[in-house]
Parts: sequence; C-alpha cells; structure tokens
Amino acid sequence: MSALPGILGLTLLNVAVALLLSPLVEGVLRKLKAFIHSRQGPPLTQPYLDLLKLLGKEDLRTSSDPFYRAAPALSLASVLLLAAMVPMGASPPMGFAGDIVVLIYVAAMSAVILILVAYGSGSPYAFVGGSREMMVLLAVEPVVAVTLVVGAMKSGSLATGEILAWNHANGPSMSMVLAGIALLLALQAQAGKLPFDIPEADQEIMGGPLVEQSGPRLALLRWTLWAKQLVFAFLLVELFVPWPRTGWLGVDLLLALVKVMVVLVLVALVDVVNPRLRVEQAMGYYLRVAFASLAALAFAVIGM
Amino acid sequence: MTPTSTKGMQSPWASRGPRLLEKRLGVGLAESRLIEPDTLWVRVPRALLRGAVETAVREMGARFLISVGTDQRSLGDGYGIVHLFSLDRDALFLAVECLVPEHQGGVDSITPIVPGADWSERECRDVIGVEPQGHPDPRRLLLPDDWPDGVYPLRRDFDYNERPAAVEGSRPPLKDHPRGSTVIPMGPFFPSLEEPSYWRIFVEGETVVGCDYRGFYNHRGIEKLGDSVLTWDRIPHLAERICGICGMIHSTCYCQAAEKAAGIRPPRRAEFIRTLILELERVHSHLLWLGIAGHIIGFDTLLMQSWRIREPVMWLTEEICGNRKTYGMNAVGGVRRDITPGQVPKIRDVVTGVEREILAVKRAVVGDATLLARTQDVGILSRKWAQEVCVVGPPARASGVPIDARLDHPYAAYDEVPPTLCTQGAGDTWARVLVRVDEALDSVRIIRECLDRMPEGPILTEMTGDFPDGRVGISVVEAPRGEAVHFVMTGGVNRPYRWRVRAPTFPNLQAMPAMIQGQNLADVPITLGSLDPCFSCTERMETVDVRSGQVTVHRRAELEAIVRRHRP
Repeated sequence: MSALPGILGLTLLNVAVALLLSPLVEGVLRKLKAFIHSRQGPPLTQPYLDLLKLLGKEDLRTSSDPFYRAAPALSLASVLLLAAMVPMGASPPMGFAGDIVVLIYVAAMSAVILILVAYGSGSPYAFVGGSREMMVLLAVEPVVAVTLVVGAMKSGSLATGEILAWNHANGPSMSMVLAGIALLLALQAQAGKLPFDIPEADQEIMGGPLVEQSGPRLALLRWTLWAKQLVFAFLLVELFVPWPRTGWLGVDLLLALVKVMVVLVLVALVDVVNPRLRVEQAMGYYLRVAFASLAALAFAVIGM
Repeated sequence: MTPTSTKGMQSPWASRGPRLLEKRLGVGLAESRLIEPDTLWVRVPRALLRGAVETAVREMGARFLISVGTDQRSLGDGYGIVHLFSLDRDALFLAVECLVPEHQGGVDSITPIVPGADWSERECRDVIGVEPQGHPDPRRLLLPDDWPDGVYPLRRDFDYNERPAAVEGSRPPLKDHPRGSTVIPMGPFFPSLEEPSYWRIFVEGETVVGCDYRGFYNHRGIEKLGDSVLTWDRIPHLAERICGICGMIHSTCYCQAAEKAAGIRPPRRAEFIRTLILELERVHSHLLWLGIAGHIIGFDTLLMQSWRIREPVMWLTEEICGNRKTYGMNAVGGVRRDITPGQVPKIRDVVTGVEREILAVKRAVVGDATLLARTQDVGILSRKWAQEVCVVGPPARASGVPIDARLDHPYAAYDEVPPTLCTQGAGDTWARVLVRVDEALDSVRIIRECLDRMPEGPILTEMTGDFPDGRVGISVVEAPRGEAVHFVMTGGVNRPYRWRVRAPTFPNLQAMPAMIQGQNLADVPITLGSLDPCFSCTERMETVDVRSGQVTVHRRAELEAIVRRHRP
C-alpha cells in the first residue's frame, strides 16, 4: 500500500465514497424517518436532485469577503481531506505517524468554517447559530479526542492505521468498547441530528448559520454535512469495530458500509424519537459523556 | 334566552351587586338592571368608573372579559364604553357602562386595576377614539402604521369601504431595548409561527430580558362588516370565518348572543348537535396543537402522528357537514343540518379509534425524558399573573385557575353533558400539554354522551318578525384555546348595532412577556406555541385572491396525481 499509485487510488476511492455515496445515504435515512412518521417520503435520489437544483441557482452572498466567498468550498474540502485520513475498508490512504492529532484538527475544521460563515453573514439568527455551534463543538470535541487517545494508548501508536490493525488483531477490550460507545454518542451531535441539531434549530433560529446561505453555497454546506456524517461513521466502525476483515478491499469496504449503515440508522432512530434540547442541556449531556470516556481511558491505562 | 344553569337559581350578586356598588361609590347608579337572568348591566358616571371596576374586581370577584366601545351618537348617547366581566362562580355577566359625550375627552383607564384590560382599551381608542386616560402604554395597537391619526374606523360615520390615504409619521414608537442587550426579531414572518406577528425579543447572550409586540397585521374589519353590511342571519357564516380552526366556536357564540338578544331559544336537539360539533372541533384542534408544539421543539414524529390521528375527525366532519373545516352548521335559532341515524355508529367508531390512539400518544410522551426537559419549568405562567391578565382556556387551567366557560356559563347542551374540569398546578408548558391531552380525551366522552342523550325533534327555531331593537346579548363559548366572547347589541336595521368579538388569544397573548422573561431564547417559540396563539382570529381578517376570479376545485385523486406525478 505504500506505493504512490496505491495511495492515490485509495485517496480517490475514499473521496468518491464521501462525495458520491453520502447523498444516497441521506436519502435512505430520509426514507427511514418518513416510515416512522407514517409518510411515504421523498424518493431515494432526492438529495442528489436537491444538490443539482441548488447548484444551478444564482449565487447570492451577504458579504464579499474572499474567505466568506470560499468558505462553503473550503468546508467541503476539509471533509474530503478527512475522508482521505479515515480508513474505509483498508488502511487510511493519508496515514502517517501521529496522524490522529491532525485528524482531530481536520475533523473540527468544517464546524469552525461554519461558525465563521455564521459570523460573517450578518444575520442575528446566524450569530446565535454560530455561538451555539461553537458551544456544541466545545462539548463534543473532548469526547472525540479522548476516545482516539484511548485507541492510541492501547495500540501504542498515534497512527490511525496502527490503531485499526491493533484492534483487529487483539479483539474487543473493555476500554475500546467504552470508547466506541462514547464516539457513537458524539456522532449524534457531529452529524447535526436531534436532539442536538441545536445550532440549526429551524423553528427557533431558522437554520442558524445557514440562514443566509442559498443556491450553490447552501448545496456545498449541505453536502459537507452529509459527507461528514458518513466519514465520521466510517471512523467509528473502522477503528472500534474492525472485524471481520477479509483483506480484499471491495469486500471490506462493503462490510464497513453495512456497519456504517447500522450506526447511522441507530443515529437516525434517536433523531426521530427526540425533541431538540437546549444548548446548555446538550453541553451538560456531553460533559457526562466526556467523563464516561475518561473511564475508558482509565481502563486503557490499567490494560483492560 | 339563557340556557338553564346547573348552578341553581339567580346569583346573589344580581341583587346585591348594585347595592354594594352604590355603597362603595357613595352615589346612586344611573342605571342598573338585570337585562337577562344572567346579565347585570350597570351604568356609572365617568368619574366613578375606576371605583366601580375596583369594587367589581376586588369585592365581587369579577373577571374582566373585554371592553366594548360603541359609537352611540345616533342614539344621543355619545360614545359608550362597556367593560364586560364574568362572575364565574355565579354564572353571571356584569356589564359596567360609561357614556362619554362627544368632544369631551376620554375615560379613566382601568388597566392600572386590571392589567388584562391593556389591549382592550387601546383597541377602543384606536377604533372609536375614546382615550383611556392614565393608561400605562397608550401606543397604537391595531391600526396599521400608515393609518392617519384621528380617523376612527368603527365610528358609524366611517363607511365600511372607505380607504383613508396612507400617511407618514403615525407609526407607533418601538420599545427601547435595555442597554447591553441585543434585539432578536421574531416575525413579522417567522417559520414556527404560521401567521404574522412581530416580536422583538431583547436578549443578553441567549437570556431574554424583555420583549415588544406589534401585531394585528391581519385585521379584517369583520366587526365593521357585521354592523354595516350584513344582516343578522348572514353573520354566522362570517363569524365562522373569524378563525380557521375554531370556526364553529365563533358561529355558535354569535348565534347564542343573537338568540339572547332576539329572545328565542334553539330546539334541544340543535343544542346537542352544536355540542357534538364543538367537541369534535376540540378533539381535532387539540391534536393539531399537539403536533405543532412537537414541531416547534423539533419533534416531528409527534407532529406527523398527531395529525394522522386527527385526520379521521376531519373526514367525519366532512361527512356530517360537507366540509373538513368551516362547517356552516349554525343559524340563529338552531342548526342547519341534522345528524342522521346512519351517521351515529360512524361517529362512535371514529371517536373510539381516536381515543385509543390519543391514549397511545399520551403513554409515549408522558415518559419521554427529552420532551420533559424541553417543557417542564418552561414558560411558567403564575396563577396570580394568569388571573391579573385574565388568561383563559388551557393556559389558565394549567396554572390552576379553575375556569371553563362550559361549566361557568353552561350553554348548548353542556348542562346535561358537563365537561370535566382539567386543571394542573405547575403553569409550565408541560402542564399545558397535559391539560390539552386530558381535554381531548374528555371530549370523546362528551361526544358519546351527546349521542346517548340527544333527543328527537326539530333543529331550528325560526325567528318571527324582525330582529328586535335595543336588546343586548352576551355569550361565551369555550374554544379549544380558551373562552371566546361575543357581544351583540341590536338596533341596526335588521343587523346588530354593535357586534363585538373577543377571541381567546387576545387575552392569552398579553401574558406572553411575563412568561418569557428570564428564559432562554430557545424556549421562546415553544412558550408562545404553548398558548396556542391564533393571530388571525385575534385580528379578524381574511385575504381573498381576486386577481383571477377563477375557482378550480381539485378532487382528492387529482391532488394526489399532482403531488405524486412521478409515482406509479
């Protein structure tokens, strides 16, 4: 896998999965939600059509600042970069020593860009949405960091690929299972799902950071969110549930995809049976999850 | 005619009230008479109005309903200001009247005594031109921003179709926000409020430190149409269109007031049919509300399921009345359509199914921790404030105020099929949810009992002769969102001289500023939603598209074909 063409190919594969498959996954989740609502729901291809429609619309901006103009594209690019650092059926294509430190930063990038977009758009709803996004980010990031550190401690390496390989070779352990559960709980907020879709909160602040976004900008920001939930789900299942593994890329990717769908369906089910929390309630919740993930770290220290 | 009261005979206040007032005011009352067995009418001199209201509220336990301002210059009385009260425990209405001669200023404001009279008095000033002197917030309430000062649309010399030219500079001032706070506008168009209303929420961080309200964007001049264009028998159809959800409420309320004024009484069967339809309306309205409340806090599953459960009720009313909403059932003197024997088992089936499903929803939501986190201790309305602002309906009952027009002033068939008083003590949004769910279940029981007890017979008492002159009828009807009040004063040519409507949102909305003070911004929409606000009926306006003039009726199959044209 160390040969350059192999790395390039894998990178392309990961980016393609994140980019092209994520609207379909979103479509499946919408169907599921509709089923629980006793609705027919939109066709599976609706997210693709939404993107096409939005991309074809006029580009309206409330600010001419160059960063503000580029922000939606940067946001999607940051998630695609993350996709290249996450294992999808194989070792992560952009894996190197110590990459989980970079991964934690890259993972937070799209949220930070969204906050900047919110503050740049000049709407009071976006301001409130931006500050909520920041609070949710501050609450969730520690959980993500601690769970990845648990993996690093167990495997003795800061490389994502090494953690995967170690976990696959050594089988489930107490600390890794706990860390996986904590990461699953964090996924709920990172995917922007209820009860944690607080920054967007349509009925309270009209989409928060997105309120002034339309057309192609909205398309890219939506696409970011869909790709993000898929990539995060891959990170979760590949690091913490890596079994079974055949060694054949296609089969492993399919297996991972099945696991990803199970995880995302769980997340969607929680989404559909919950109302939205207030931001301080969400922070309290993630504070407790963070403490629980520290327990996983403690288990890792004593070798469980 | 007054419906028979379950509370025994005449209230002691009917005779003691005038004596107490005379004692407190130190003068004889200009006029005091029992115009109906349940309506005491007193006229007081202008200087003593505040004292009379204070006596009524503090000593007789009167609850303020609404003020009626009437241009009575053609009767030689100047402007009449009538403050209506309800003595809930005595099934008695009290009307305190005060005449203001033309060109002689205003009347003392009663808002310092009754905070709930705030909007009422401002409305009287806006439409009749009688200034409430000493009012704490005398800004323009309901006239548009560009309406000229000094033009009063409800005066009788103002034509119903007159359109004064727009002027600059009459826009009411906005309230200043406290230093250091940010203004978050909610409205005039806001996604979780399906109707226009403009709230300016003052926040520090996300904590609400105050608010300002400007509404009445939808004022339709319905009262004006009633006393200048329509005849008494057409008004039920207009009254029904005051509200898209509680149309039956308003048409019943008008009909009852008109029947009292005309001295007729509908047949017993008609009263049962009214009760039945009113309760069907309550069931669907509470389910509609439950869904919207869920939607506001992001719980769309609750929205979809509540509305699915509600749908058979809509089909049922379509079968009975020919329409899902806006039933057209009422006429002065009775109802226009009978319930056929074939419909009875159908009604029973539908309400049984609805009851089963509401119980399932109740079981599901009562244990939901996240739902409790978003509704408990949110939007607390204290019992004291609820009574001062004269809040009605489920918000009042959820704050422990035991009022329900169906019990306090029994109308239609509620003397025979009384509702259960559903109260809660906490006064928060969760308490309002529980009250509404319990009431929806109670409505199912009332519907069954109506079917069991409904007598045979005619359904309409025809009025013989003209609409009589110089009479007054006051009626209240408990709408799903609170008590509606209609006041009819006869004396027009075959139409009311004055028809006054008070929708339940009118008092309830005035409680909102106190309910959101100190709360998180995130709780503002659900707090407002928990009042079940109905802006348009508060404002009584209707929009008609007259551009094309063409009416196309789509059948259900066509609509489905349009919506699902890419489907097999």
